[in-house]
Amino acid sequence: MDTSTENHAQAPAAESEPGSFRDPESRIFYAGGDVYRALSADGLADFEALRATGLFERFQADGRLVRTELVEDTSAVPADLLPTGAAGLLRHERIPFVSYPYEWTFSMLRDAALLQLDLTLAALDEGMILKDSTPYNVQFRGAKPVFVDVGSFERLREGEPWVGYRQFCMLYLYPLLLQAAKGVEFHPWLRGSINGITPAQMRGMVSFRDRFRRGFFLNVFMHAKLEARHADRGKEVKAEVKQAGFKKELIVANVRRMRKLVASLGWDPPKGVWVAYGERNSYSGEDAARKDEFVREVVTSQPWNLTWDIGANNGRYSRIAAEGSKAVLAVDADQGPVELLYRTLREEGDERILTLTMNLADPSPSLGWRGLERRDMAARGKPDLVLALALIHHVTIAANVPVAEFVDWLASLGTALVIEFPTREDPMVKKLLGPKREGLHPDYERVSFERVLAAAFDVERRERSKSGTRLLYFARPKGAGSPIDLTAPEG
Amino acid sequence: MDLLAYLDPGSGSMILQIIAGGLAAVAVTAKLYWNRLLRLLRIRKDDEAAPPADQQRTDSA
Repeated sequence: MDTSTENHAQAPAAESEPGSFRDPESRIFYAGGDVYRALSADGLADFEALRATGLFERFQADGRLVRTELVEDTSAVPADLLPTGAAGLLRHERIPFVSYPYEWTFSMLRDAALLQLDLTLAALDEGMILKDSTPYNVQFRGAKPVFVDVGSFERLREGEPWVGYRQFCMLYLYPLLLQAAKGVEFHPWLRGSINGITPAQMRGMVSFRDRFRRGFFLNVFMHAKLEARHADRGKEVKAEVKQAGFKKELIVANVRRMRKLVASLGWDPPKGVWVAYGERNSYSGEDAARKDEFVREVVTSQPWNLTWDIGANNGRYSRIAAEGSKAVLAVDADQGPVELLYRTLREEGDERILTLTMNLADPSPSLGWRGLERRDMAARGKPDLVLALALIHHVTIAANVPVAEFVDWLASLGTALVIEFPTREDPMVKKLLGPKREGLHPDYERVSFERVLAAAFDVERRERSKSGTRLLYFARPKGAGSPIDLTAPEG
Repeated sequence: MDLLAYLDPGSGSMILQIIAGGLAAVAVTAKLYWNRLLRLLRIRKDDEAAPPADQQRTDSA
């Protein structure tokens, strides 16, 4: 442990955030369940400059900036966290669940981009700027984007350009252009490279005719060309640009132009997704009502901190989960319904349900330096309740994950569970089994599923749908519940 | 000149910003090329007229 805390009995053990090392003026660490940001002398001066403007208060008040307070005593900062030592310390509000741009839908990345640009413009107005432009500086509180890197605000140095422009292109603009103009989902690209898409890569992915699309000529074609031409004369160009007197007005003009461009970009899910989403509240029949009731009874039976609704689709059950959970993750592999759910929640001003798109059979891995900069799902916050409704047949039949493996993964989360099991007679299961060779997935069968489930969890409740082809279970972690006998007749 | 940013702004990206700045950029661009011309004609030496690199905070710009 570091020695700096020894003299202060109350100071809790500190753990530095492995993803926060790029900016030498500002580093994140955790202590006693709180999020702290240590600042260098320069970083502190920038923070004081920000505080002196009205922006700091205003942005916290409207929720666009993470809640932050200055801590007087810097002794809790781990030694050697900052190369130049800590001069200041901030404490931040904790965001319920950290998410990454490759898990966001199109509109989420676009809203984060607009937030980044709006904060940059407001900062420029006050003689400040944001030193970088990375979407990893934005988190979501429900459907509201929140800028979390207070250390990104710095005093504008005369003659410097918009340093974050290139990064903005690589991590915001190109991914958005790819999906908006080319119909290519940006997620694999952002997940594949923590720094995003380079101008040269983007140039290689677009066609001649894209030259005439808005935003492409300058930001893609010219950008790639200039970058290739001036690649090895960085120092001279910087000197020239500075000597020519790069003015603030120029930065403002560029950021405004970028904002207009980003605001003009759009992406819509395919028609069928809209139709299905429109019908989300009109599920009829006794089975749907019983399922709602089952989920609602579990969710409201006790307070839950974090509920994962996996295979959330249009979010019907995420909304029910929000009735009894502090925070809900609505995760689905299909971006379409999640995008529409995000838009609805955004309109409602929701701050509880975080929508994410991810394939559970190929979930977000640990990424970046030492594989610790970006973490896998469970490392960012284990759930205490998981809803796995109408999901298991997709994971086990469509994605070929063995039933026992899937249940074992759920158990490894140490969570309570509501799981739905559609039997082999269920129309959807039949459809998924249809193209498969006869006799495949012998483990996808009710009795063996129940045996596996009961081995990993204490199953407290089971209910069969009226149609007879779907079963609902509520289970607690092994040893935490009072299990029923699943081999006994249903009743 | 030393950029104080931890992030590399990219040479091509900086030039692009000047080009893209449109009207706001005309004056800067002109000056950039004027300086280049002067240097080419050896009327001005390389680092002449460059302001000292430190203490360039703009509160008034």
